Amino acid sequence: MFLKRIALAGAVSLMGSAALACSYQNEVPIKSLSAGFEAWKAVTDAMAECGNFQAELDQEFRKKQPAAFEANPSLYHIGGVANGTITPLLNAGTIRPLDDLVEKYGQTLKPNQLIRINGQIMAVAMMVNTQHLMYRSDVLADLGIATPTTWDEVYAAAAKIKEAGVMEYPLGATMKSGWNIAQEFVNMYPAHGGAFFNADNTTAVNSDAGMAALETMKAALEFTDPEVLVSDSTYVQQQFQQGKIAMANLWASRAGAMDDEAESQVVGKVAMAAAPKAVADGAPATTLWWDGIVIAKNISDEEAEAAFRLAMEGLDAETVQGANDAAIWLVDGYQPTEIAQGAIATATANPAPPAYPSTTQMGLLHSALGNELPSFLTGERDAAATLAAIEEAYTTSAKEAGVLK
Amino acid sequence: MSTPKAMQQSFALRFSSGAFLAIWCLLAAFPIFWITVMSFKSPVDAFADSPLDVIFGPVTRASGDGLSVVDIVLGLVVLFFAIRWAFTRLPALVRQYCPPGLIVLGWLVGALVYAIAFVLVFFGLLPLILGLLNGLLGPLGTPVLGLTTDHYVAVWAENEFYRNFLNSMLVTAGVVTISLTVGTLAGYGLARSGSDLAFWLLIFALVFRALPHSVLVAGYLPVFINSSEILRPIFGEGAPTLYGQPWAVIAVLVSINQPFTIWMLRSFFQNIPAELDEAARVDGCSHFQAFRRVIMPVMWPGVITTGLFSFLLGYNDFLVTSLLLDAQNQTMVPAIAGYFNRETTTTDQVEAVAAAVSITAPLFLLVMIFQRQIVSGLTAGAVKG
Amino acid sequence: MKFKTFAAFVGPSVFMMLLFIAAPLVSVFIQSFQVTQPILEQIEVETCTPGFLTQTCTTEIKTVPALDENGKTITETRWVGLQSYQNVLQMDKFWSAIGNGSWNQIMQIDFWKALRFTLTFTLLTLPLVIGVGLAIALAVNNATRSIRGPVIFVSLLPFIITPVIGSLSIYWLFVGDGILTVMLERWSGQNISMFAQSWTIEILMYFYQVWHVAPFAFVIFYAGLQTVNMDTLESAVIDGASRWERLRHVIVPHLMPLIIFISLIHLMDTYRAFEVIVGFRSQAHVISLQWLTYDFMTPDDAGNRAMSRASASAMLTMIGIVFLLILPLRRTWRDHKGSAH
Repeated sequence: MFLKRIALAGAVSLMGSAALACSYQNEVPIKSLSAGFEAWKAVTDAMAECGNFQAELDQEFRKKQPAAFEANPSLYHIGGVANGTITPLLNAGTIRPLDDLVEKYGQTLKPNQLIRINGQIMAVAMMVNTQHLMYRSDVLADLGIATPTTWDEVYAAAAKIKEAGVMEYPLGATMKSGWNIAQEFVNMYPAHGGAFFNADNTTAVNSDAGMAALETMKAALEFTDPEVLVSDSTYVQQQFQQGKIAMANLWASRAGAMDDEAESQVVGKVAMAAAPKAVADGAPATTLWWDGIVIAKNISDEEAEAAFRLAMEGLDAETVQGANDAAIWLVDGYQPTEIAQGAIATATANPAPPAYPSTTQMGLLHSALGNELPSFLTGERDAAATLAAIEEAYTTSAKEAGVLK
Repeated sequence: MSTPKAMQQSFALRFSSGAFLAIWCLLAAFPIFWITVMSFKSPVDAFADSPLDVIFGPVTRASGDGLSVVDIVLGLVVLFFAIRWAFTRLPALVRQYCPPGLIVLGWLVGALVYAIAFVLVFFGLLPLILGLLNGLLGPLGTPVLGLTTDHYVAVWAENEFYRNFLNSMLVTAGVVTISLTVGTLAGYGLARSGSDLAFWLLIFALVFRALPHSVLVAGYLPVFINSSEILRPIFGEGAPTLYGQPWAVIAVLVSINQPFTIWMLRSFFQNIPAELDEAARVDGCSHFQAFRRVIMPVMWPGVITTGLFSFLLGYNDFLVTSLLLDAQNQTMVPAIAGYFNRETTTTDQVEAVAAAVSITAPLFLLVMIFQRQIVSGLTAGAVKG
Repeated sequence: MKFKTFAAFVGPSVFMMLLFIAAPLVSVFIQSFQVTQPILEQIEVETCTPGFLTQTCTTEIKTVPALDENGKTITETRWVGLQSYQNVLQMDKFWSAIGNGSWNQIMQIDFWKALRFTLTFTLLTLPLVIGVGLAIALAVNNATRSIRGPVIFVSLLPFIITPVIGSLSIYWLFVGDGILTVMLERWSGQNISMFAQSWTIEILMYFYQVWHVAPFAFVIFYAGLQTVNMDTLESAVIDGASRWERLRHVIVPHLMPLIIFISLIHLMDTYRAFEVIVGFRSQAHVISLQWLTYDFMTPDDAGNRAMSRASASAMLTMIGIVFLLILPLRRTWRDHKGSAH
């Protein structure tokens, strides 16, 4: 049994490398550095079919990407970025404008995919991502609860589910201290009408909207697992799969896993809807993200051309059809299925949720939020003191970074 | 050696000491045993609430992967004899066929051959025989224990974990060899010099050892990435980019490990009577000759023990290797950490567990082989403080 | 030994330590008094990002670093004295909290919170590690010869296993409805969440640390026990010393150098605690000093890293370890003075 398996696996991988699905043979050695989730795996696999390509898929890529692209010659040709992580590359000027390359090789790209900064194409997006509401359609239907559209309705539904004794903790939340919990606040705060910064780069979170956002976040604790401060998206996804929670505001890229028969006990029972709103007539309380590719500046033009051509091969319809449910693709050939409905509803809502603001200040504020919010949720500090602490932490790091004088 | 009468112990004492030992062994082995069990189950079973579900793996069994009673009995028997053999016959064989000077090398070769033979028998021959037997035996041959090797296949074949394994071996071998070569010389020098300089060197080494590694690594990263630009004035166009180079990481790990190595070896050399090399010096040897002729033959127990600690450091390191190596040269530990990050699935996690168990296996083998040497090395004085 | 020979022996080792440890250390020391900032300018930027079907373009004033003619960011480095240390220590808040007598307020400051945990973590596990290590060593020494081999083997497992994996393996047993939590719940009849409050997390971390390090203490003590002088022991028996007295007056003094050796190593390694924070995901409740440093210098999405504060916190960490080590090291100094020449 075991031997057969191993032999089979070997044969499959051999066949994989033998049958080239690429339309041309790449001659220039190309390296890429990107995050490592499913969509990137699909894209880099497609690029590898053309040969002479090495992909580095690393979730901690942000630690080395700015430095690696600043080296001369750049250590990587292709970079995978999101709207947060493109900022340091743009700021340091280590990625090149792609207008001429898009003209030459990018016939299949849609205008929507081209990220323009001051009119120049700096990146090519391949997918959008957003946090949206996932819920157990069977549980909600059994109790006669309509799909919640605001956080108040989410909490009311959670209360009902808890009362009915279906689940002890009906709500999941990605509130792991650090990046995740800060992201929850970044979702909630603009939805309450708050702006992150004043004109002079000081932060404006210490405001009524900030208080409201914190209150909404804290209200969730009544319905979430007490260990919510260690739960990241993988953990919430697992809770869903094991049927322990009924609702969560979770990343669209996680939707596919709910119907994965090998992992999930709730196949076909999880439905997606637009992210809940914080106020009834507002935008969904979430942010829009995109992931895409950039090409390094510190490489020769030939390498850049080969790299871009290769990237286009990775971002073609064939790749997308092979991994349709891995992401909300922007690439031609994508067929939105049932599980993409929530994300699409979120992105096309009116008013629409904001894109994640990618600036130096936002990076600093995000870290400050991630470090200061947990003690509010553990109850060590009240809301007003927490907002003051966030403001102070931001001011300290902004001064150190030179953003504030 | 018979125990003197007065030293004999009451039953209560023997019993409680035995019970304590049993509890400790359970505590020591249980988490490791548990992740091993998890790594063989489908994701649903691996993270199930009930321990019985994790052990018996109903979902895994339902998908047709499992062990029958015959499998288990026969497997255990083979396992028992394999382990017994490793403790009894293997050492004798190694001693018999190995030239006396190269005992370490002999052990390594022996271990490797043993590991390969074990894998072949256990995963190659045994399943074939059992496949036949299960077919013949009917009810006894139906699976009762859910077990799947999917995750191991995924990790080693699809994710090409063997590359990480080879990289780990390269880095670890480099760290151990260089660390010991440099460290033995320094340890000997420090042990035989009573000067204040030697003392302060040791104290500084100790402070260095206490440094948080993250501080050091942060200092390396920009230099390593830009080294080609920085070194160009010196080396010309061929200036290497240190980032991603295994040998650069080896150098870093050796340095980080130096303080501990020289402390260990110094204490060890202090316990080798100075009269030995002084006698050699009277015979007209220089310090280096005395070291080579007199000290080297007797230093192996201490060196093996210290080498083992170097091995653990190089093999288990996460911070340095994860930041300074690129994907092509990634070692195993950071490769595993890649499974645990933000965008992972439950399958990824179980695969990570399988990879983690795979990492632990060579350590198992190592301890099994060098266990006696560790204790005798430490006894011989590497730990006199 | 002549200085020249000595230098030749220790040369390579010292060179490597200087290059890879001392040099970064000096640069960290210098950086802790400096701040390096890019020269920033405010420019109007139009950014177009994709929605699902259409793009949204926004024009806003962004603060971005200025680039020189080679396309490199222009940075300036200023000396700021003790400013970074002040930013880490937050002494004003610290004193006002002392003034209020509020422990809770002190614990809101990251550095003091990390220091508190690091010290308790280090000092509480120290006696436990030594005690458990010694107990195992005595028990193994007491056991029949035939089972010693396997027992030593099993005992060493927690020590050799990769720390990240070791802590994760314990984390999984307890997180959420991990099997041991479920067992505890059944036994106590209560709903237990081990990772919901800091004291339970801390207990688990102490447990992990003892589990991980006690084998190291054990194997060293066990080696030490092999060299206990049997004659002394027997004469103690003849003098009518009880088992406990023998342990106290013969065995422990014999093992004293080893106890100090283990304490030293344990103080250093535990004081550096980092993997355990990551493995147990305890950032929300407890953090350690090295984790704080690491957190300062981990770049955020926008690529900012607080290098000055990281350097300052690293220097403070180092000062702390020097204090911790002074006590055990005084003995080494005496030994050195005694044994030299």
